[in-house]
Amino acid sequence: MDTQTLIIGLAGVLFAAAPIVFAVLGETLSERAGVINLSMNGSIILSAMGGFAVAYKTDNIFLGFLTGMAIGAAVALIVAFASITLKQSQVAVGFVLTLVSRDLSYFLGNPFMGQPGPRLSSLSIPGLADIPFIGPLLFKHDLMTYFSFLFIFLAWAWIFRTRPGLMLQGIGERPAAAFVRGANVNRLRYFYTVLGGALIGLAGPTYSLSVKAGWNGTISGLDGIGWIALSITIFGGWNPLRAAFGAYLFALLQWLGLVLQPSLPGIPSQVLQVAPFPLMILTLLFVNIGNAEWVERTLAAMPEPTRRVTAKVLRALRASPPAALGVPFERD
Amino acid sequence: MAMKKLLQSEWVSRLVDVLLPVFAALAALFVGAVMLLFLKVNPIEAYKALWDGAFGSSNAFAETLVKATPLLLVALGICISFRADVINIGGEGQMIVGAIFATWVGLTFTGLPGWLVITLAMLAGFAGGGIWGGIPGLLKAYFNVNEILSTVMMNAIAVQLMNFLLRGPLIDPAQAELASKIPQTARLLEAFQLPRLIPTRLHLGALIAVILAVLVYILLWRTTLGYRIRAVGQNPHASRYAGIKVQRHVVLALLLSGAFAGLAGATQVFGVNYRMITDGSASGFTGSAGFNGIVAALFGQLHPILSIPASILFGALLVGANKMQRVVQVPSALIIALNGLVVVFVVSSEVWRRRRQKRRLAAAGQDDESSPHAGGEKSQQAETDA
Repeated sequence: MDTQTLIIGLAGVLFAAAPIVFAVLGETLSERAGVINLSMNGSIILSAMGGFAVAYKTDNIFLGFLTGMAIGAAVALIVAFASITLKQSQVAVGFVLTLVSRDLSYFLGNPFMGQPGPRLSSLSIPGLADIPFIGPLLFKHDLMTYFSFLFIFLAWAWIFRTRPGLMLQGIGERPAAAFVRGANVNRLRYFYTVLGGALIGLAGPTYSLSVKAGWNGTISGLDGIGWIALSITIFGGWNPLRAAFGAYLFALLQWLGLVLQPSLPGIPSQVLQVAPFPLMILTLLFVNIGNAEWVERTLAAMPEPTRRVTAKVLRALRASPPAALGVPFERD
Repeated sequence: MAMKKLLQSEWVSRLVDVLLPVFAALAALFVGAVMLLFLKVNPIEAYKALWDGAFGSSNAFAETLVKATPLLLVALGICISFRADVINIGGEGQMIVGAIFATWVGLTFTGLPGWLVITLAMLAGFAGGGIWGGIPGLLKAYFNVNEILSTVMMNAIAVQLMNFLLRGPLIDPAQAELASKIPQTARLLEAFQLPRLIPTRLHLGALIAVILAVLVYILLWRTTLGYRIRAVGQNPHASRYAGIKVQRHVVLALLLSGAFAGLAGATQVFGVNYRMITDGSASGFTGSAGFNGIVAALFGQLHPILSIPASILFGALLVGANKMQRVVQVPSALIIALNGLVVVFVVSSEVWRRRRQKRRLAAAGQDDESSPHAGGEKSQQAETDA
């Protein structure tokens, strides 16, 4: 493989990862605030369908993206209402919404099946795009890919470098303490859940109007992406930078699967299709293994140099969820 | 005064608790009726069609029970795992793997007598689902891997495994020669099919499911093992201090949960289709029973016996909705919305139930540190003791 193909391939990885980045960032914000939005798998599909349908009808691609965000925000609002106001199990509500919105999009999207629709055009950044290697890698994309780069750093800076971001960490870690410091915990949770939902909703049209342009119902290949994004969120340790790294890693693995397929003829196609899932389970395993009791015991029994290195590796991999994740806040 | 006293009595308020989901379902149907009016459809006519489709004739009722059987089996597993505070979303994958194991038995041991093969196949389905549930169980117990995510990923793996087998090694020889290549296995021998109970499509699996519901009830509330599983779900730390091996019971809960789903898959093959067939997706084989079973279990308040009427209700909604769609010509999105409404209303009614319970416990002067699980558990215990 020469450099040219490699760069085009890697640029494709960045492009294909954009919707996953949006979804992962949205989920990270929501979970940082203490609300698990489990509806992701369904709301991505629904917003992909809705975004495509609106863009197709109005011939305005940006209305399509806005619709997707609105759908994601609306689904997140239901999650927020059920979990914050009604204090319902977030898992149950999110799960039901996943199924309902997925089925709904297959039904409502029926008239748009396989229609040729609008597609986001690519936008080279003049000047920067001509830099060798870096230009074609980073600066010959469409608008959404640029947004995905931008949002990663915005989300990171917001959470870790601003005062409201500190409050966001607070309502997810120790809502009672944040409340004493004057935070309106439940209102902020509503805000971040809906904002995160809008980002998740942006992932849908990024698929249907760009990465996998078009709407093909059950064979759109979108079912399952939400679950992958959910595990990447955990892999990312609720940190936008690490989460984005996870998204790119996943896209890279998928691309490698495609590239390697012709050179590995003996392997049935299902193996490569399914490979991301065991890989994600393995990643989750490595991220969490440091928290396991028996690992600590084993570590303690190891000879000193080995112990130190292993402990360091495990600590680097380890991610702990926000302490109040999934726990409703009550003021007493 | 007497009336007020009656309303406040334990017995009445517990009765209200049990009936609450039913009222919630009725309320959902009422909202559905308003939606039907907007579509200019007579709701009475529509619901009559739904009722006829689900209960109108012995055939219709049998269909309802056939649909309810896998829901109940999956729900039984969900009762076990959710009681242990383990969220098993992998019913679809566990059904598929159970069905694969069972189908393999049915297609391999063609020389053995029917009753033996059926028994072996059901056990194989139980084992297959158990393996598929046990893996996330091990991952959760010993590696802290979130079971919601791992079970979902196991679903995806199971689907591809099914597609590979049904298009490759296990494909129906007749299909292998055709160009269409529908992913299905060969048909089971007639002797291996689950016997039918009455001259309808109702098969032995329904009876097995009901018997198992009683067994799961006994397991959860009348054995030490069940007590431990519930204790782990309510308070893992206290359980550990009490000497319960928490991790082992987490694995066991997920394993059993998967095993029941696997059995559901096996009964679908041996009782309904007489072969394993799909359209390439998970629901192509399971009909989403692996997911709907969760809803049925929640509707049945995670109680194995209450899950029986809950599964029949959802089976009826599924079967009746088809008829309703045909008779009054409503878009199928409305049916989906109606199912969703029922779920949302039932789940919301839980809030009210819990609040009532809290009040009651507070009134009884009890220290209410109980988790929602503990709360729900308490009322059911009393209800079944009554």
